[in-house]
Amino acid sequence: FNFFLSLDVLPRVTCPNHPDSILVEDYRAGDMICSECGLVVGDRVIDVGSEWRTFSNDKATKDPSRVGDTQNPLLSDGDLSTMIGKGTGAASFDEFGNSKYQNRRTMSSSDRAMMNAFKEITNMADRINLPRNIVDRTNNLFKQVYEQKSLKGRSNDAIASACLYIACRQEGVPRTFKEICAVSRISKKEIGRCFKLILKALETSVDLITTGDFMSRFCSNLGLPKQVQMAATHIARKAVELDLVPGRSPISVAAAAIYMASQASAEKRTQKEIGDIAGVADVTIRQSYRLIYPRAPDLFPADFKFDTPVDKLPQL
Amino acid sequence: SSFKDDLSTSPQQFTPMSPYDLDLPVEATEDVLFTSQFNHPKELPTDFSSVDLSFLPDITQDSKEQNLSEDGHEMQKELVGSISRNEDSGIFMDESSLSYPDATQPSPEASGTCPSLTPITPMTPASSASESSGIVPQLQNIVSTVNLACKLDLKNIALHARNAEYNPKRFAAVIMRIREPRTTALIFSSGKMVCTGAKSEEQSRLAARKYARVVQKLGFPAKFLDFKIQNMVGSCDVRFPIRLEGLVLTHQQFSSYEPELFPGLIYRMVKPRIVLLIFVSGKVVLTGAKERSEIYEAFENIYPILKGFKKTS
Repeated sequence: FNFFLSLDVLPRVTCPNHPDSILVEDYRAGDMICSECGLVVGDRVIDVGSEWRTFSNDKATKDPSRVGDTQNPLLSDGDLSTMIGKGTGAASFDEFGNSKYQNRRTMSSSDRAMMNAFKEITNMADRINLPRNIVDRTNNLFKQVYEQKSLKGRSNDAIASACLYIACRQEGVPRTFKEICAVSRISKKEIGRCFKLILKALETSVDLITTGDFMSRFCSNLGLPKQVQMAATHIARKAVELDLVPGRSPISVAAAAIYMASQASAEKRTQKEIGDIAGVADVTIRQSYRLIYPRAPDLFPADFKFDTPVDKLPQL
Repeated sequence: SSFKDDLSTSPQQFTPMSPYDLDLPVEATEDVLFTSQFNHPKELPTDFSSVDLSFLPDITQDSKEQNLSEDGHEMQKELVGSISRNEDSGIFMDESSLSYPDATQPSPEASGTCPSLTPITPMTPASSASESSGIVPQLQNIVSTVNLACKLDLKNIALHARNAEYNPKRFAAVIMRIREPRTTALIFSSGKMVCTGAKSEEQSRLAARKYARVVQKLGFPAKFLDFKIQNMVGSCDVRFPIRLEGLVLTHQQFSSYEPELFPGLIYRMVKPRIVLLIFVSGKVVLTGAKERSEIYEAFENIYPILKGFKKTS
């Protein structure tokens, strides 16, 4: 109970003339200033910002920071630990030239595996340039799964990869299993298995993937202009609406739509190139393309400028 | 004769080998009987009213054992058994329609529409009498295990038996195959055996006995203990395309549909604990059953749900 009351009971500095006005903090001078009259109320306020700025290229000079990294209390309970730095001067070395107090003491042995996993997740996300919010969501998912212990036997890397996949899905920007495989050492089969187990363990579900989720990524990787991307999105959506491709994976349909759109425009791409980017075999693209080809005139958007007319589209 | 002696000591009902030959044609007629009954769903209620139904509650549970054990009047019992099994699935489905947790069963629309069945079925049938699907899942695979109760020398067996392969570096069991019924058995050195590939319970038992006989002929004192069917796989076709995306939206807690991983929807039914693989084409695979009735019950449960997600085109 004390914690909740203390916020009101602690003596709060207020301006004597304006007790209700908000105090503005001025970090440079360390003052708290009343916003109404400008009276300096608090003096010599302690700055809690970092002491030194560290740059990544500054490896040669020692890191002068006297505190550890930013705390991560949400995830790895507390982060408080003491580390012993490398010795300077002669007194820190014993007879044989080895340093006394060797080995910076290990930190937070419980959850070491979790911190390791977080590092792995950050590495994986960096490789495909995922934003910080997805990484945070992944870390949260991993923590939930780890605490539940229902998937304890599985490799932590597999769980981490599956959490990354789920986080991307939940944020509305799904990555294909193959894309996650590309940045992880775990096989697609294992990631798929862990994915299903995690959904069951956390009792959540994810939305079904659609063709439109991947259009912007695939098209920009292929260097296709916005018009072609919009046309491909339209083609794929129409194809699914008209049920021309029942039972086909949305990735394959998206790849076939991109192929059709690019072949009708000035920026033509081969099936092999599209297959490489999308992670589908070119025979798969061929199969899906054959299914959408007969209705090609209906699938293109109305305002599309054809570089190659519809009847001259390649027929495979 | 020594074979018979060995088997007579087993707790299982002992049946001599010859009636099994009778079993198979009986099996066939039973299947025919099934399909002929189900081909005319509308006639079902009237069929029941003509048959003496007073013995039904007694037979429903015991019919299976009776069918498998009796060798005398098997033909007759098969008939009764098939009717009772049909009624079996009806009754089970009624129970399940009430106790099924999140079922979107169309109970309001189907209540009280069974004129001749009301004296027998105590619960309101959700969909049994309105339209039983008229489709019977066909069994495709039965996996069973049996204990031969003696240590076996696998190398010996592999050398002397026909159609046996043994590669200890790859797998620690002898893989033996017989042509009739077309099955494969994994025989382990502990004496335990797994028999797969049979299309019916009787065929699985027959095949397991044949393997046991082979092992016995090679000089091991093989017995036939604890024959148990571990898994049954059935498949059928609902004859219309299905909207899997709709199904996964409404039955989220039971379904898993990941087109990247597998093209079919994996539906884990709770009431008979059965896993169904549902495909866009309308084909359904049911697996995980220990009894034939579980497969039928599961299909009767899923059929109205699938009808609700028929693709209109």
